[in-house]
Amino acid sequence: MGREKASGARKAMPGMRSRPAHSWGRFSRYSSALLLFFILCAATAVGLFAIRDLRRADLDSQNMYTGSVLSLHRIAALQYQTQETRRSTLYALSTADSNLHVKYADQSREADHLVSEGITAYLANARTPNEMDIGRRLQRDWSTYLNVRDEVLASILEGSTKEAVDLDLTQGVQSFDRVRQDLAEIERVYDQQASQQLSNVDATSRRTIIRVGAVLGITLILALASVWAIQRSRMSNAIQLARLQMEFLASVSHELRTPLAVISSAADNIADGLVKEKDDVKKYGAAIQSQSRQMTELVDQILLFSATKDRENHAAFGILDLSEILRSVVHQASELVSAAGFHIELEIAPGLPSVKGDASALARCLQNMIVNAVKYSGKSRWVGVKAFPGGSQLPGRREIQIAVTDKGIGIAKPELPHIFEPFYRSPAVVAEQIHGTGLGLSVAKNIAEAMAGHLSVASELGAGSVFTLHLPIAADAESQVPVEIRAEGSTEK
Amino acid sequence: MPRPAHVLFFMVCAALLWGALLSCSLGFAQLPAPELPAAERNLAIVVNQSNPVNDLSMADLRRVFLGERGHWPNGRRITLVMLEPGWPERAAVLSGVYHMDETEFNNHFLHGLFTGEVFVSPKTLATPEGVRKFIFNVPGAIGYLRASDVDKTVKVIRIDERLPGDKGYKLHVPPRENR
Repeated sequence: MGREKASGARKAMPGMRSRPAHSWGRFSRYSSALLLFFILCAATAVGLFAIRDLRRADLDSQNMYTGSVLSLHRIAALQYQTQETRRSTLYALSTADSNLHVKYADQSREADHLVSEGITAYLANARTPNEMDIGRRLQRDWSTYLNVRDEVLASILEGSTKEAVDLDLTQGVQSFDRVRQDLAEIERVYDQQASQQLSNVDATSRRTIIRVGAVLGITLILALASVWAIQRSRMSNAIQLARLQMEFLASVSHELRTPLAVISSAADNIADGLVKEKDDVKKYGAAIQSQSRQMTELVDQILLFSATKDRENHAAFGILDLSEILRSVVHQASELVSAAGFHIELEIAPGLPSVKGDASALARCLQNMIVNAVKYSGKSRWVGVKAFPGGSQLPGRREIQIAVTDKGIGIAKPELPHIFEPFYRSPAVVAEQIHGTGLGLSVAKNIAEAMAGHLSVASELGAGSVFTLHLPIAADAESQVPVEIRAEGSTEK
Repeated sequence: MPRPAHVLFFMVCAALLWGALLSCSLGFAQLPAPELPAAERNLAIVVNQSNPVNDLSMADLRRVFLGERGHWPNGRRITLVMLEPGWPERAAVLSGVYHMDETEFNNHFLHGLFTGEVFVSPKTLATPEGVRKFIFNVPGAIGYLRASDVDKTVKVIRIDERLPGDKGYKLHVPPRENR
């Protein structure tokens, strides 16, 4: 009662899957790197935001300084020079010395030149209509005052002090007062602009704080979410691994218990003397032999899985005659399944080149593929094995493809990504009570990859599956011509 | 001990030598001065740029400078500007316009102001630059400057229809001395 025999018809895909330990490390490492990258991106984004807003605040400050503070400074200088213009004129009143008159007149004129230049600069920099209006008014009032000032100066220099004082009191004071009012208005405008700029800077600062706070908060939340997701994923995977390991243990125990029960029962019958006839003893011996072989195979499969996990051991690789190995494997498989009515059809393309690898491992790989096909071939009880040279997806590489085809129930698409994973068993297979360890295809895949090949699958639910082993052609291999053989229960084309 | 005759002889010789040296130095001083540019030698009569008067006769100029005219044709009061005593320009005006020396000049204005015959008391400034600035500031001012000291801030008027540098122009000034 072989394991495959006990499994009966194929009802679901084989395999039981658990994530290997190195996957955890890889996942954790990648997740950590991803998390670090994410946090780095977030920190960079925060930094960029902060820098942008700070630069904007800085620009606003500069604008405020250049636009208002400097303007206020210029207006203050303008106010000083207007006072100087008038002060120098009045100083001239305080002396009778014509030379001092000339000196004070000179000072007054120098100051009024500076004022006129300042007003011109103000008008050139005026941005709003209000500023322009005030500037023009100031220019007009200043011109009026200068006319009066000139007359006052002339009177002083002529020696007509009384006339100069009268002129200054009647016209000079008023016109100068208008100038002062204009300057005070300009100062008020600049004050308002400075206040506006200050409020802009405040708004920008507040905005910066809110943005940085928001982005930092979001970053923190996302980082926490990422950590939580990773931890949850790890925990979930750990739980899944534990579950798969329990299922695997149960499956293996079941697989071992059945033959052990048969062996124990047969041994008891023989020990109790119930089996006396020679034919019965022979029958019981055959049963014990069969069950022992099944147990051995199971243990071998488990050990092989562990062995095939090390894919770097290429030391034992040699040039392999694929045709011979294929025939041998098909022959052995046909012997096992022909009694159950299974038919295995072998087709080897002529001139099939050799490959490089381990002969026993390759035989185990092919055997697993064929046994898998037999196990799930359903009512058709037909398995096709075809070896032929094929093109590779990798450029410049030639390969040999060995396709094992069955016409069984096929595999559902969602299951396809998992069927090569170790210990994976689909829920349908478990429900149908098809026994297995979930290691067959995984072992086959590991062997294929160890020989620089790979295993692929194409399947349609209810129509069957094709598992294809892709092996690279050995560079120094010679083409080999297959020999026609026919195994029992098998057909070779 | 030297004899008195010898001492006397020595003193006479020294006096003669000193006299000879002095004569030589005076002789050098009387050599003709190097030729000066016309602007350095001519004395310009200047008024404020706003003054409508462009030329005066020498007689009118003398009346103005003597303070016998109080106003310009535009109604502006005439303000006379003089340099301080010691300036060659002042000396040139005193000799060329007033035909007076310093004493006569001072007496004229003291007497005229006292009697009311003179309407204008001259303003005295320390430098030609001061004169120029004064005239620039006072619309009715009139003064004099060496032609080379004139700039665009003041206006030069014709005297007897002649500008400084023109042939027949009468007002000249001696070379400038270091004061």
